[in-house]
Amino acid sequence: MERVLFLSGNEAIAHGALRAGVRFVCGYPGTPSTEIVETAATLEGLHAEWCVNEKVAMETAVGASLAGVRSLVTMKHVGLNVAADPFMTLSLTGVNAGLVVVTADDPGMHSSQNEQDNRTYAKFAKVPLLEPSDGQEAYDFVAEAFALSEEFDTPVLLRTTTRLSHGRGRVVPRVPVEVEPRDYERDMTKYVMVPQHARIRNRVVLERLQALRARAEVTPLNVLEAGTVDFGIIASGVAHAYAREAFPKAWFLKLGLSHPLPYDKVARLYQSVSRVAVVEELDPFLEEQVRALGLPVVGKEAIPADGELDQELVFTALEPYLSRRPPRRRRPVVPPAPRLSTPPAPAPGLPVRPPVLCPGCTHRSVYAVLRRRRLAALGDIGCYTLGALPPLLALDSCLCMGASIGMMAGFNAALGRKAAAAVIGDSTFFHSGVTPLIDAHYNESQGLVLVLDNRTTAMTGHQGHPGTGRRADGSEGPAVDIGALCEGVGVRCTTVDATDYDALDSAIADEAERPGLGVVVARAPCILMTRRTPGTVVVDPERCNLCGLCLDLGCPALVPGDRAMTVTDQCTGCGLCIEVCRRGALSYHEPEAGP
Amino acid sequence: MNGTTTVSIVGVGGQGILLAAAVLAEAAMAEGLDVKSSEVKGMAQRGGSVLSTVRFGKRVWSPVARHAEVVIATERLEGQRALGLLAPRGALVCATTRIEPGSVLRREEVYPDDLEAQAAARGLRLVLVDADSLAREAGTVRAANVVLLGAASSVLPFAPESWALGLAAAVPAKILEVNERAFALGREAAPAQEV
Ligand code: SF4
Ligand code: SF4
Repeated sequence: MERVLFLSGNEAIAHGALRAGVRFVCGYPGTPSTEIVETAATLEGLHAEWCVNEKVAMETAVGASLAGVRSLVTMKHVGLNVAADPFMTLSLTGVNAGLVVVTADDPGMHSSQNEQDNRTYAKFAKVPLLEPSDGQEAYDFVAEAFALSEEFDTPVLLRTTTRLSHGRGRVVPRVPVEVEPRDYERDMTKYVMVPQHARIRNRVVLERLQALRARAEVTPLNVLEAGTVDFGIIASGVAHAYAREAFPKAWFLKLGLSHPLPYDKVARLYQSVSRVAVVEELDPFLEEQVRALGLPVVGKEAIPADGELDQELVFTALEPYLSRRPPRRRRPVVPPAPRLSTPPAPAPGLPVRPPVLCPGCTHRSVYAVLRRRRLAALGDIGCYTLGALPPLLALDSCLCMGASIGMMAGFNAALGRKAAAAVIGDSTFFHSGVTPLIDAHYNESQGLVLVLDNRTTAMTGHQGHPGTGRRADGSEGPAVDIGALCEGVGVRCTTVDATDYDALDSAIADEAERPGLGVVVARAPCILMTRRTPGTVVVDPERCNLCGLCLDLGCPALVPGDRAMTVTDQCTGCGLCIEVCRRGALSYHEPEAGP
Repeated sequence: MNGTTTVSIVGVGGQGILLAAAVLAEAAMAEGLDVKSSEVKGMAQRGGSVLSTVRFGKRVWSPVARHAEVVIATERLEGQRALGLLAPRGALVCATTRIEPGSVLRREEVYPDDLEAQAAARGLRLVLVDADSLAREAGTVRAANVVLLGAASSVLPFAPESWALGLAAAVPAKILEVNERAFALGREAAPAQEV
């Protein structure tokens, strides 16, 4: 066995990650989290990256996890606010290979603008929370976190605080965990969070939370330590260390897996002692849950709700309560498992009618091209997310606004090749696609970014955005050119007319073959804004054999007749179906000159 | 519930469901009634099934309801899908319009042809209206939604003046006249076709 190390909590997490079979670590620096990535970057076998911000870091880690590699992402407490968008929906999609999010909180605000208690994020996102209380646990809990992440198909939040992150202690290295990289398999209901899929996943999350609570009851991470006096303390993280030193004879419920709370273990502590206190820094996170069980407890009336604790503070705060008369014993009232709603049953036997891309939609051509390339298409949020639904089935993921590019970078980094493309709309690109592009360039990520530039924020009703210059009151402001912006960053960028199928096809083909990072802007205004019918498509019934190739485009204007395709008056004359028909059965028909 | 009437308007995204709901709500307000309505926007609107609900009465509390006294459907399949929404002895005012969803076009699913039988089996009143033809007669096929409102006016307790006020309030001035014609044609067509 290796010699005992003397590590800071952050170093211990990095070493623990290596031992847990993690291959990808990223984050954004922020005290007290910074040394995790710094240490990881020095360890052989770990790929470590600084990302442009915490949101992009989270998305990059999600991409690596999706590609099949255990991934760790780190940030300080306020950084999780920046990353909250991907984090909240990541709870719904779950993971492929394990994914652990480290949040380093800063009680006392040694180096922060606020003192938020990020344990609330675990509750908010309904994910498990691990709280190591010393360096050895920081090291050990990383492997525990990854095991939970993969077993329960969930991201895991690992919370440290300044004293743990920056305190040093003995760490005994352990035998490395053997992990095989997982294969990536496309699973749209799991990874494409359009409403109809997200509703299903939401129920999975609620059921998962019940299963995790059952695990919290039995896991050795949560220990009931017997004492010799009639006094028990519930604590987690570094607060446990303070309380243990202050009251060596007390009973302890030490919570390593502190969310979801193991109700029965709490009840067992109350069977053993008549006085119980919760010792925790910052919010009454555990205390409120104990009180909700109807159990008397000493908490924030004695232990300060702000700043750091230490053993003397804990001792003087709680000591007076030991001489008081113990409260009357009460039985805990454990909340029943919540009821889940009954989803409205679809009318039996009736064909479904999901939303579809409009006839003549300029996104359709991109999907038609993309389907021919063997690239995972990591998507984003807008009308084009509909490309994930039948019959196009052309997207692999949709997590949150702007997630596609970061996920692509992580996915390709994990596999070491250009295996995924990002598909993002113009408005979404301005929303939060620029920072991950900068990040991908900085980290020399591989990838193909497709910006579907339809000159508007289409899905929500055609609002303007910086690329159009059109403002909320209809006035014209300066417009930002996406191509110039990409080139300014240093990323090569090709802009093509999205209605020119051949140009689009060859631009995407070229970029898919080239090493490194490139952007293709497929540009054509949303058909709903132009809505002019330059002509229409006619079918040659002699040639059409109803092979159905054009139907796979999912254009609502194409309707199979008895002997040949027919084209309804919804046709905008975009001409895409002409391109895909191999029998030359479709042709463009000029409109007759009006009277 | 509690003297509140619920009307659900269903159809395919892009068929003018929201406009029809707005006219109905305005007409109810012209009757001096309290009104609440709700609708789903965004992604759902792109050619998918759309549902909009209007509730009116002396005092309306909830904006939604699981059951409706009247369903107005701008498409047959969507009308059939909404049968389960109808309270006993409720009325379905339904266009004969047939818009096949992709799964039917690709022959993965079959478009149902038993709307009449299903409605009869449930003891519902079915008013079928050739809304597209009547709308074309009025001047534009896009007014089919308002033709159906006209047909539904035969089963809703509003005075003709209230409907007129509702149309004027909700329909853009440029297309008001066509829609007034469409409404009148729908109103004429309904009783004769009533089952
Ligand atoms: S792709 Fe061409 S031959 Fe095949 S069904 Fe369509 S029009 Fe007919
Ligand atoms: S039928 Fe063909 S040309 Fe017409 S809108 Fe659809 S894809 Fe475009």
